[in-house]
Amino acid sequence: MNFQNFIGHDDAKLALILNALDSRCGGVLFVGEKGSGKSTLARLFKNILPPATPFVNLPLHATEEALLGGVEMEETIKNGRKILRSGLLQRACDGVVYIDDVNLLSPEILALIVKAQSSRNYFIGNGNHSRRPLQNFMLLASMNPEEGYLSSHFLDRFGMCVFWEGIRERMQKMAIMKTAMSSDQRQNDDQDLRERICGARMMLEKIIVPVEIRNTIAQKCIENAVCGHRGDIFLFYAARAYAALCNAAEVTAEHVDKVLPLVLLHRRRIYKQMEEDRANDQHRHDKPADSKNSPEQNREKGKDSATDYEDENDNAGSGDSGQRRQQFRESRSAEEIFNVGDVFNIRRLAFRKDRMNRTSSGRRTKTGSLGKQGRQIKSIMRPNSDIAIDATIRAAAPFQIVRGRSEMLLIGDNDLRFKQREKKMGHLAVLVVDGSGSMGAKKRMVETKGAVQSLLLDCYQKRDKVSLIVFRKDAACVVLPPTASVEAASRRLQEIPVGGKTPLTAGLLETYKLVKNVLLKSPQTRFLVVLVTDGRANQSFSGAPVREEIAKMAGLLGELPVTDFVVIDTEDKKSFLKADLACEISGLLGADYYRINDLQAVHLTEIIRNKKAAYT
Amino acid sequence: MIFPFTAVVGQEEMKTGLIINVIDPSIGGLLIMGEKGTAKSTAVRALAELLPEMVTVKGCPFNCDPDGILCGGCKDTLKNEEHLHRERKKMRVVELPLGVTEDRLVGTLDIEHALRKGEKRFEPGILAEANRNFLYVDEVNLLEDHIVDLLLDSAAMGVNTVEREGVSFTHPAKFILVGTMNPEEGDLRPQLLDRFGLSVHVVSIGDKDKRMEILRRKAAFDADPAVFAVGWSAEQKSLAEKIIAAQRGLNDVQLSDEVLENIVSITAALNLDGHRADIVMMKAARALAAFRQSEVITGSDIREAAYLSLPHRMKRLPFEAIGGENEKLQAALAEMTP
Repeated sequence: MNFQNFIGHDDAKLALILNALDSRCGGVLFVGEKGSGKSTLARLFKNILPPATPFVNLPLHATEEALLGGVEMEETIKNGRKILRSGLLQRACDGVVYIDDVNLLSPEILALIVKAQSSRNYFIGNGNHSRRPLQNFMLLASMNPEEGYLSSHFLDRFGMCVFWEGIRERMQKMAIMKTAMSSDQRQNDDQDLRERICGARMMLEKIIVPVEIRNTIAQKCIENAVCGHRGDIFLFYAARAYAALCNAAEVTAEHVDKVLPLVLLHRRRIYKQMEEDRANDQHRHDKPADSKNSPEQNREKGKDSATDYEDENDNAGSGDSGQRRQQFRESRSAEEIFNVGDVFNIRRLAFRKDRMNRTSSGRRTKTGSLGKQGRQIKSIMRPNSDIAIDATIRAAAPFQIVRGRSEMLLIGDNDLRFKQREKKMGHLAVLVVDGSGSMGAKKRMVETKGAVQSLLLDCYQKRDKVSLIVFRKDAACVVLPPTASVEAASRRLQEIPVGGKTPLTAGLLETYKLVKNVLLKSPQTRFLVVLVTDGRANQSFSGAPVREEIAKMAGLLGELPVTDFVVIDTEDKKSFLKADLACEISGLLGADYYRINDLQAVHLTEIIRNKKAAYT
Repeated sequence: MIFPFTAVVGQEEMKTGLIINVIDPSIGGLLIMGEKGTAKSTAVRALAELLPEMVTVKGCPFNCDPDGILCGGCKDTLKNEEHLHRERKKMRVVELPLGVTEDRLVGTLDIEHALRKGEKRFEPGILAEANRNFLYVDEVNLLEDHIVDLLLDSAAMGVNTVEREGVSFTHPAKFILVGTMNPEEGDLRPQLLDRFGLSVHVVSIGDKDKRMEILRRKAAFDADPAVFAVGWSAEQKSLAEKIIAAQRGLNDVQLSDEVLENIVSITAALNLDGHRADIVMMKAARALAAFRQSEVITGSDIREAAYLSLPHRMKRLPFEAIGGENEKLQAALAEMTP
């Protein structure tokens, strides 16, 4: 296969051509679903670059040392003085660094790449090794947003971003299959296109950029509420490269418009985006004629009043949770089960790294690692049981001649280096959900379930374990014991009924018991307790006043080790009767407090998806 | 002594899945979902045993094919000595242990050599060993995330790129990936599911007679493996010949527009992400036709290929409710023009 007969995705191809033409266009990021050919096209990029341009693949397991280079062991031993080896980024000098699944790359490595790019002229090699300049390189990367996001900071580094959808059109799909199946592997190497690009590159500096075009560029960037000035610069270079490709003598407004979506889509300010969305929503809501007293609405009204005042004298005994769950199911017919509302992306819930070393996996919070799992972040001189032999040898290398080595390397105590490893860990997320009648009012539960589902999605991306506790009527019950299967949690969520009083204390107590229990078995666990409630606690547990009870329980919970709390308030804040009790509880727990709307994180890649239509 | 492949009772889907991966390794492996003790690893080992020896470059740690793609070392040898020594090797089943480290998987600096000689040398990892062999990953869903990422990355590219501890190295890593998982113990991310070419569900055989037959064969094999093997040698030989014939005939199978259209309409009806589904299904159907020693892909080839290549791709969201896949698939297949 070659670049030109890659089927479809003309915008992606254009982005690559412009970058091949002028590396100042700033690199390309492909955002799209799995198996849609992102990597295939990215690899074909080589075909249209000038011959012998470096094209370096950055594998996900690359270490800091591999990236930046360091002491070249073999030569250093032979010569008795430090000889440096260039790292991956130096090898990519004036070429391309290609990263597949860039959103899975560890943040440390990402940060290094960004640093190398921004300070390219004086970048220093690893640690105390001598300095060498790091040259320009272009970033080409792909990611699948289902697997997690890329920070907007890093996103902004890319000159262009192409949102990429799989081709659904039948004829094109067939053509793609034919290309993939063709046994004809002869390398038609895109020579004609490469020559055309080469010719255009020569013309680049001669192209006139009229003042009014510079104006237009600035204007467009302002209109699109672009953050920072990278947008203007990249847009300028992209438009000029496109003009060169078109064999034009000067840049016109059409050239700018053509490359605009590639350069600006991923740079728009989020608040601007949200404003627009809100305006659109308004518009949408206004449109359908208000058909008053529709049967649907009537039904809802009936339900509202029913659930609000529902008070059953269900004697939930003190039986085990299994038994209670049974009751839950049985009594469901009298209650309501709401659908799961809209799912959105959760803002980043971050927690401090603590000092415990663990053997765990996941992606939420950093932790020191026990044993030999985890990525080696660096080698250190402080002894532990995990010797970093390569670093030790490199440390000893310059002294081998002085020490009079004949065969074996001579390594002294001072040379020893040790591995410092770090992993990310998942938490056990305990979702404590209010299922009382008041939550059923005005379909609040639909929204709440949407929020919880969104939390589950976040847990999945961070590889958390989850557990689900529901409190309603007279009791709280663990409807899902801790599990790694977020799917099971999602299924249970759909089944949660609403109705009855609000035994908030019971919910907190159940949470306390669960955390204690898990701690017995696996003391390394970190907990994230998410309390989802409107705060209208009205069912006492011991007969004491509800508020007093809650304060006591909160005190108890606060003493738990390595537990973080988040309270999500579902109370209708526009309501006349708002009590802000959930806020109070969050204060007692020392929890982070969010309303459902605050929980939503708007990711730039998401915006691209939504807004693509507006440009095309 | 290894239990003969042809003597494995039942589990036809799994056996077919393995065989067509051998016929066309670019299909991209097989994910076996199901319970313990359902002859999963037995079948893989048995199939490797059944296949004829392959020609490799003598002493090459990557089992390079002297007439195919060569690793850096073999290229140098060819340049310096103008020919490569060949040897014949059995295809192997390389296992990936659960606690495997990144170093062990992708390869790393040969520490001993570095200490003794002060020289840098690459120590090949499991991916090197697996080149042109089976790579068997038990409980792939329990592997650490970053390990799975690495594994599937090289599986997709057929190349292992090493950038660590002062070693930069690239070598071919084309293997038939066979993963097993018990879905109840945790899930595999959709993106990773998609990277497996085919998937099958295995369950214990419920039929009493068949279960007794399994017992009988196992007892006979344990009593005297050699005698048992002789009893099955004719079938073994004929299957091996069929597989080799299919490998040769693969490129003669016609890919008519009608077949392509059928495949596209099935995947379109199921609204699947990306193009892997189409391509894998096409390759599977082609291998099935070749296995039947036919040059024409029939409707039943497509149907069988759909069942092997689509169910694990039908879950688009991380935790969309599972189940109902087979019904959806049946509905889509019913639409197909015969």
